[in-house]
Amino acid sequence: MQMHEVMFAAWLGAWAVVAASAAVLWLRPSPKPHVRLHVRLLWLPVAAACAGVMAGRSGVLVGPWRADALGWLMALYVAALGGVIQHFSVRYLHGDRAYPRYFSLLTWTTGAAALTWMSDDLRLLALCWALMSLGLVGLVALKREWAPARAVAVSMAKRFSLGVLAVAAAAVWLGMAGGSWRLPAALAHARALPGWEREALCGLLLVAALIQAGQWPFQRWLLESAVTPTPVSAVMHAGLVNAGGLLLARMSPLFNVGGTLPHMALLLLAWLSVLIGTGISLVHVDYKRQLVASTMAQMGLMLVQCALSAYGAAVVHLVFHGLFKATLFLRSGSVVPRPQRQWGLAAAPSARWFAVAAAMGAATAVLYWAVTPQEPARWLSAMFLGAGAALAWRYLSALKEGRWLGFAVLAALAALAELARTGLAGLVRAALAPAQAPPVVPAVAAGLLAAGAVTLWALAVSPTSQAFVRLYLWLIHLGEPRRAAIEPHPRYLAAYAEEAGLG
Amino acid sequence: MNKTALSLAGQAAQARTHVHAPANMTVRELVRQASAVIAPLWPIAAFIARHPWMEMEHLSFAEVADRLQDMQGVRLYPSRSVLSAALARGEIDANILARCLEQWLDLQTLPVPRQAMARLCHALLKSQEESPAVADDLLDLAQQVCAKLPAATVRHGRPAVRPLSVQLGEPGRRLDQQMIKWCKLFLDEGQALWPLPGRDEGLYRAWRRLVPLDPSLTRTERARLATWPEDPETALVHALAVLGVAEDDQAAYLTAHVLALPGWAGMLAWTSRRAGQGDEWLLEYLAVRLSLEWAFCAPWLPKPEVDGAATGHAAAGDRAVRGAVVRDATAGEAAAGAAGQTDTNRDPVRLVALWLGYSGLTPSAFRQLPADVQAACIAWLDRFLRVDRWQLWLEAWERTYETRLRASILSSSRQNDPAAQGKEPSPVAQLLFCIDVRSEPLRRQLEQAGPFATYGCAGFFNLPVQTRELDSLYAHPSCPAIVEPKYEIRECPAPASSVTSYRRRRNVVQFVGGVFKKLKQDLLASLVLPESSGPWLGLYTLARTIAPGWAGRLWQRAEEAAYHKPPTQLTLVRGAAAGNGWEDGGLPVGLTTEEMVAAAGGLLRTIGLVSFAPLVVVCGHESRTTNNPHQAALDCGACGGAAGWFNARAFAAMCNLRAVREGLARQGIVIPDDTIFVAAEHITTTDELCFLDVPPLSGPAQAALQRLKQALAHVGPQLSAQRLARLPHVGPVRRPHAEASRRAVDWSEVRPEWGLAGCAAFVVGRRRLTQHADLAGRVFLHSYDWRLDPEGEQLAAIVAGPVTVAQWINLQYYASTVAPHVYGSGNKATQTVTGGIGVMQGNGSDLMAGLPWQSVAASDHALYHAPLRLLVVIEAPSNHIARVLAGDASFRRKVENGWLRLASFDPVRGTWETWEADSLPARLSQAG
Repeated sequence: MQMHEVMFAAWLGAWAVVAASAAVLWLRPSPKPHVRLHVRLLWLPVAAACAGVMAGRSGVLVGPWRADALGWLMALYVAALGGVIQHFSVRYLHGDRAYPRYFSLLTWTTGAAALTWMSDDLRLLALCWALMSLGLVGLVALKREWAPARAVAVSMAKRFSLGVLAVAAAAVWLGMAGGSWRLPAALAHARALPGWEREALCGLLLVAALIQAGQWPFQRWLLESAVTPTPVSAVMHAGLVNAGGLLLARMSPLFNVGGTLPHMALLLLAWLSVLIGTGISLVHVDYKRQLVASTMAQMGLMLVQCALSAYGAAVVHLVFHGLFKATLFLRSGSVVPRPQRQWGLAAAPSARWFAVAAAMGAATAVLYWAVTPQEPARWLSAMFLGAGAALAWRYLSALKEGRWLGFAVLAALAALAELARTGLAGLVRAALAPAQAPPVVPAVAAGLLAAGAVTLWALAVSPTSQAFVRLYLWLIHLGEPRRAAIEPHPRYLAAYAEEAGLG
Repeated sequence: MNKTALSLAGQAAQARTHVHAPANMTVRELVRQASAVIAPLWPIAAFIARHPWMEMEHLSFAEVADRLQDMQGVRLYPSRSVLSAALARGEIDANILARCLEQWLDLQTLPVPRQAMARLCHALLKSQEESPAVADDLLDLAQQVCAKLPAATVRHGRPAVRPLSVQLGEPGRRLDQQMIKWCKLFLDEGQALWPLPGRDEGLYRAWRRLVPLDPSLTRTERARLATWPEDPETALVHALAVLGVAEDDQAAYLTAHVLALPGWAGMLAWTSRRAGQGDEWLLEYLAVRLSLEWAFCAPWLPKPEVDGAATGHAAAGDRAVRGAVVRDATAGEAAAGAAGQTDTNRDPVRLVALWLGYSGLTPSAFRQLPADVQAACIAWLDRFLRVDRWQLWLEAWERTYETRLRASILSSSRQNDPAAQGKEPSPVAQLLFCIDVRSEPLRRQLEQAGPFATYGCAGFFNLPVQTRELDSLYAHPSCPAIVEPKYEIRECPAPASSVTSYRRRRNVVQFVGGVFKKLKQDLLASLVLPESSGPWLGLYTLARTIAPGWAGRLWQRAEEAAYHKPPTQLTLVRGAAAGNGWEDGGLPVGLTTEEMVAAAGGLLRTIGLVSFAPLVVVCGHESRTTNNPHQAALDCGACGGAAGWFNARAFAAMCNLRAVREGLARQGIVIPDDTIFVAAEHITTTDELCFLDVPPLSGPAQAALQRLKQALAHVGPQLSAQRLARLPHVGPVRRPHAEASRRAVDWSEVRPEWGLAGCAAFVVGRRRLTQHADLAGRVFLHSYDWRLDPEGEQLAAIVAGPVTVAQWINLQYYASTVAPHVYGSGNKATQTVTGGIGVMQGNGSDLMAGLPWQSVAASDHALYHAPLRLLVVIEAPSNHIARVLAGDASFRRKVENGWLRLASFDPVRGTWETWEADSLPARLSQAG
């Protein structure tokens, strides 16, 4: 017991050190800021969290904190992600006017995100949530000389205030009604609350989660967030938009007793966001906009999994999505097609090949599901994996040389990734309380997703139809930024050139 | 928007217009005229450094600066703070500045005492402020003076034509947003899975079909466009009519619209011209733009009077005139305001006050001047404040640079006196480098390291070819943008090699990447992608960030291994490619022997390489950068924005062909049998020279190659150390070579190398002229021996080709530095690749055309590139220069209008001459 307290104290101390270092960066912007030292210090919280995950004991109470497996896991994930992205920024943002301040805010924001999931006090949780949102808005506002950045920061501030208010209201309500600010006690007491109160509490949390995840109808801030520098986007999409899923996972005991309505509401809204997000990424042509829209869809899936009470799957998804999206953002400079690398491909696949592909997909899905059918929302992953296998098989026909080698490499990559997923899923499962969604939800979810896929496919078959054109234009419209969030020419650079000396 | 607040008062167009259109021009001619203010924009994958004002060279630089400031609100001169910094660092000589002013004053024709003008100009030139201070009592005095002046005198500003939507404010901003949207959807090169419906029918027709359903327009706006013409030309004519644009203003009106988004318009111009459609797509763009403008602005326009009854808007009375075009006396105010600066300098009262305050003229003396002189004084001072004083500063900076360059060239040429020359051993190897400014330091160091002679020529090696790499579907025009490719050269497997294993490796990589992309764009499959790829991508990110150098090199090596080609050869000889399964893409594959002899002989003679060492190395160049959309901007501009290895290989192989050597010998260029041409590539990011194609070597050639490699082993790290000293660093640099190679592979590096930043001059002449001068990597060097060119043909070719390429590069850097928001590419950290063809800023913007901010600035506080126009120095007797100027009207225009500066070094008399634009006509008539 003693040992765990020491570990937790070390972890808190590590964050205190980097937060202080960040404060120095903020307050004393010198021409040669100690950024290199600062990013090295960032390994302290990573190391501490690593030790915490290794120790693997759950539910250690230290003051208002509670270090459980999920907390440690998220602490490790957020710290490592933040550390890597700040390392990246050392050179990527070099020369920026707000150079040291990016590191300050990135540190504080990720720190707040990590602390959120160690909070055992409802008030502390709400406070950390608020700090995290504040930090994110601050990061966008750092380039305030640029009109679109200002406009987006304002719109984010508005939506995030609503989210913070929702979390705060839920926390106070739960704390007051439950008679304890301690999270487990308050949640345990939720069962005793009247039905409408439980539903309202769930509603508040849903609003906060939907805003944070940029889901419809709060998607505007997320879609316009392409205005921020790439590393900020990476942190935002990998470490902060997914806080909604974690919030719901933390509050799962409340949802367990919340009835069908919150689950169905979440399912519907998240499903809509999956469709809209995917649709936008199908029609829009700028890379960062495609990434942003894809985040909207992926967060939709995370929330669908939450609606199914498959919190373990949701946490696994949000972690891997974070790695996936952070990488895609950071390497967004590499997507200019290289014309020299266009090689002829064989003809389009034959009908038979299509049939085989479909069969392959179905077989993959069934096999995957049959390994552990009892795993919550396993069928969902099986469905997606099947679709992916069918697609890959279809594409395989385009190769002449190296077809089987390509298949083998791809299968090996996917299998190893699946191994990593299983490992993480095991860790997460141990960290979460068991939960069960109302039985009607999975059926509805399956129906909705299948219907969405079929509809999109059917519309895309005849791209000249009026219905398709309408859908196309709506998706373009939904994905487009507001007028205030764009500027034809970044005028602040003219001001920079006006004030610059010679280097 | 308050409708009455708008001043739609269409003043009579009394003053001259910027773009004067003769009446009865067809709309096509109008579009063509309007398109002259922009330059075509090439896709970013083959970044062509292009001069943004290439079609305005018939005007002087200062005139274009003046006009663009008026029309676009863009300032084309270095800022006050940059100029002060240059002055403080001694890059501008104050005496030279004073001399520039004196010379300039000599040319002015104002009937005001010269002394008064000089006093005024001196004071304003030195003023530390953008808009010089004037005392309040002087302003009062000036107010009184102005009050008594005729109105026409006070309204000195030339009226600028501004589109209605711009005057209204918000509709103009909405219009830009809509046009960005339509352009990016239309021009997309396969980034969206669902392309724009009806894209094949052209921009206008696709828009016309979709716009009635577009939810971003209001219902009324959609209704307005429901019966709009189906044909773009008709639509444009109609829009001009309903917007009430007077016939005289139409060209200027369209010009203003083209200038609103010069990047997208430039990309449409490029695509259209490449498709052989002339300016058709630009016309469609303008048709969409003006149609939407009308849809947005219709409420503010008088309705067409059907029955003569006064409509609501017409009731606004005489003020609601039929013109949408408001000619604004404070011209450019909106544009300047749009650029975030209010232009108080243009207030006539202020201008008069400045006259009174600084020239020494008394108010009564000023009042006694005739009205037209007063008007001229006000207009003259207005232009001096906005344009001429900055032009003088710029010229002073350029002349100071010229003085320094002259001193170092003269001292270098003196060190190379003929007596000393005889003692030098003949070179064991000769190296041909591209004219690129990055070749200069390497050449200097190599020459110092051993008996190596170097030559400079445009890096396409006089081969007007399009190149096709092994198996590639894409043929790259591997020659300067001003040269039309005439032949195709293909890379194909060498006789004994097998491509199967290469194709297998390559296909596997492509397959994995392709599946990743396909899965991303599928509703269901995309949702499993994070789980299936997240662990790998996470590993990738972790490794490349924590150990950028090590992991980057590992990744690079893996990539090289995957794409490693079997031994290949090039189809140089016409007819050799027949029967290999490729259909011809319009151009003949390979060259005939005569064509090869002509190309090779032409180049060798031009650069004065007529006696050969045992080893001749033909060096192309390439940059190595990671995660950089502007990678091609760092590659060889003479090879059409690509790596130069293909042309280097082709040229070397050509010169090794027996038939070609025989042909050359008949022309008097005898290449000894022992001499071997070897292709290599200069990697500019890491200062390495990689040998590409090494045929069997003769004994002396083998020895020379050994010696060269030994020298390179020293020279590379030395050069890295010098180059890195100029790049900004986060920490101390311990091992320069490791740091340079880290920059090449680090995916977070935004300044892998400086590229051509700093480029300032172009020297045409023998190497002895510059051999002992440290030109700091700022100079293009083209070898040329005037003694071998009695007719001046080769000099003319150099001036028409390589000099133009360098001028484009130079002005690209210039423009990206002085107006980074319009002519640059913006901040690298906030850019997004769009449509696979270019980059936008943030959520959306104009298609950014030039170099990124990080490529010209060391930080947000300091520029790296000194914005100077190219100084061309030619080593040849004056009458040779005069002959070139007389023979090449386009080059002469460049010099006369200040698009580059010309100086010459007379090798016979040993004198330096500057060919000033002002004195050029006189000089030429004298020479002629």
